[in-house]
Amino acid sequence: MPVLTKFRVLPVVAISALFAFALTGCNPKVTRTSADEVTDLSGNWNDTDSRLVSEEMIQDVLSRKWLSQFNRKHGKTPVVIVGTVKNLSHEHINTRTFINDLEKELINSGEVEFVASAGERDELRQERKEQDLHSREDTRKAMGQEIGADFMLKGSINTIVDAVKGEQARFYQIDLTLIDLESNRKVWVGQKKIKKKIEKGGIRF
Amino acid sequence: MDFFSRYPVVQLLVLISIMLLEGCATSALKSKDMRTALSQGRPDVALKELEQKGETDDVMVNMNRGIVRRMVGDFQGSNQALELAKRRIDELYATSLTEQAGALMINDESISFEGDRYEQVLVHAYKALNYIALGNIDAARVEVLQSDVKMMEWGEAPEEDPFMRYLAGIIFEALGEKDQAIVAYRKAVGVYRSTKKKHGLAVPRHLQDDFLRILAEENRWSEYKQYKHKFGLSSWQKPETKGMGELIVLLHNGLAPQRNEHSIQTWSNELSLNIKIALPVYALPPESVTQARLSYLGVQKYLETVENVDGLARAALQSDMPVITTRAIARAVLKKKSEKKMEERQGGLAQLAMFIVNRATEIADTRCWNTLPQEIQLARVFLPEGQHTVQLEVLGKNGAVVDMIELNATIKSGSKTILSEHWTAPRTAAKTVAVNTEAETRVKF
Repeated sequence: MPVLTKFRVLPVVAISALFAFALTGCNPKVTRTSADEVTDLSGNWNDTDSRLVSEEMIQDVLSRKWLSQFNRKHGKTPVVIVGTVKNLSHEHINTRTFINDLEKELINSGEVEFVASAGERDELRQERKEQDLHSREDTRKAMGQEIGADFMLKGSINTIVDAVKGEQARFYQIDLTLIDLESNRKVWVGQKKIKKKIEKGGIRF
Repeated sequence: MDFFSRYPVVQLLVLISIMLLEGCATSALKSKDMRTALSQGRPDVALKELEQKGETDDVMVNMNRGIVRRMVGDFQGSNQALELAKRRIDELYATSLTEQAGALMINDESISFEGDRYEQVLVHAYKALNYIALGNIDAARVEVLQSDVKMMEWGEAPEEDPFMRYLAGIIFEALGEKDQAIVAYRKAVGVYRSTKKKHGLAVPRHLQDDFLRILAEENRWSEYKQYKHKFGLSSWQKPETKGMGELIVLLHNGLAPQRNEHSIQTWSNELSLNIKIALPVYALPPESVTQARLSYLGVQKYLETVENVDGLARAALQSDMPVITTRAIARAVLKKKSEKKMEERQGGLAQLAMFIVNRATEIADTRCWNTLPQEIQLARVFLPEGQHTVQLEVLGKNGAVVDMIELNATIKSGSKTILSEHWTAPRTAAKTVAVNTEAETRVKF
C-alpha cells in the first residue's frame, strides 16, 4: 500500500473511532434502583433525607401523650392539617415533597384524621360550586360540611455549614411543631438532626 | 513518490494547523459581536448570538446567558443558566491533570473556565436578584447563604465580596430577620474596608446609614455609638420611617472590561533567544462610567457605587499574572524545543509545520464574564405607602441627562421594594420589573 494512502486511511479510522466513542458517551446510562435506596450524590438534601426525617418525626409525634390525652378528652381522633415548612437552609429544598412525606406518614398511621391543606381547599370548594350548578341533586356535596382541623403541624429546615478548602460539614436541623388551633398551645415539638461530611476531590483527569 | 508521500508527518501537521487556525481565535474576538450589541443597548441581539451554541455546561456561556437573559426580562431562564454555571464550577473544583498538561503544551484555554472568585460570588448575587424579581425572596435568601459558604471556604476577608455582604443584609432585612441583617451589614462594612485597595471603594454612605438605622431600630446602642464614631457621623439622626416603605434601586451600569491579547518578546535563558508569549491584559485606563440619580417627590438623590466590577476584574488578573506569565514562558520553551526536535527528525519543512501549529495555538486566555456591568450603583429611599413613579436619570460626562428610565413602584408600609435595571446605552423604551417583597407579586412595566 502506498504511504500516502496509508495516511489517508489512518485519520478516517481514527475519526470514526472517535465518533463511535463520542456517540457511546452521549447515551445516558440508566440504572433502576429501589425508591428506598440511599443515593447520596452531591451531599445535598435528597429524597432519603426527606423520607427518613418524616418517618422518624411522625413516629415520634404519634407516640407522645398529647394524642392519648386528646382521645380521652374528646373521644375521637384528632384532625390535623399541615401548614408551612419554611426552608431556612442554604439549599433550594423542595419543601413540598417533604410535606407530602409528612402527610403520607400521618394518614397511613390511622391515628389521626387529616384535612386538605389551604392550597388544596380552594380547588375543592370550586368543585362543590360547580356541582351546585351542574350535578344531579342526589350526588351534590353540600357546602359548609368541611371538618375543621384541631391541630396544625408546621416547621422549618435549618442548616449550619462549616467549610474549609474542599471540605464541608453540613448540619441540618428540622424542627416541627404541632399547635392546637383553638388555644395556640404547642402540644408537641419535634427535632431531627442530620450531619453530613462532604469532601471534594482535589485532582481530576 | 510525491512530496506528501515523502513527508507524511508534514501532511498531517499542515492539516491540523489549518484546523487549529480556524478554532484558535481568542475568546475576546469570538464575543466581539455580542459585546457590540450590548454596548448599543441591544441585549436581544446579544442573546441571539449567545443562544446559538444550544444547551451547554460551559461556565462562561452560562454566566453570560444569565446576565443577558435577565436584561431581556427572562429571570427564570437566567436562573437556569446561572444554576448550570454554578454546578459546573463545583465540578471544576478539583485540578485537572490533563487540562494542566494542555495548558503547558497548547494554551491556557485548555483549562476549563470556572471564573474568578469575584465572578463566582456574583453568580449567587444575580441569582438572588432574579429570585427577588420573581417574587421569591426566600430563594434569594438561599443564594445568600450559599455565597456565604463559598466565601467561608476561601478563608479571609480579602477574598470576600463586599457587595454580596451588603445585598445579604438587604435580603435579611426585607425578610424581617434583623439580627441576621445586622451581622451581614457589619461584615459588609468590614469587607469594604479590607478590600478597598482591590477596587477602590470605601464603605458606601448608604451602608453607613443602613447599619446605623438598623442598630438604632434594634436598640443596639453601644454598637450604634461605636460605629457612629467610626463613620464620623456624630450628628447622624435616624430617619422617620413610620408608615413608609423603602425603595431600593440597583443600577447595573455599563460593561465590565474585556480581557484582550497582548504579545510580548521575552528572553529565555534556557534557549538563549527571544521568545514571543501572548498574555491577557485589560485596556487602560478604564472607560469612565456614567453617573445616575433618582428623582422622586421633587427630590434628587445620586446613586452610589456599591460594586466596582471593573476594579475587581483588574485586581483578579493582576494577582493571576505571575502564574500566567510563568506558564506562558514554559510553554514557549516547550514549543520551541518541539520545533527543533521535528527539524532533527523530519527536516526543515516539518519544523515549519510545527511552527505553524505552535503559533496558531498560542493565544492568551481572554475568557471572562464579559456581560457583567462595569459597576453596580444603588440608592435607597423611604417613600410613603402607595404607587410611585420615580425617574432614574443617567448622566453623561458633562452632567447632562443622556437617558431617563421611569420606574413604577408599589410601596407598602414597612416593606421593601427592590428594582433592578441594566444600562449599557440610551434606549427609548425601558423595561423594569418591580417586586414588592411583602406581597410577593410581580408587576411588570
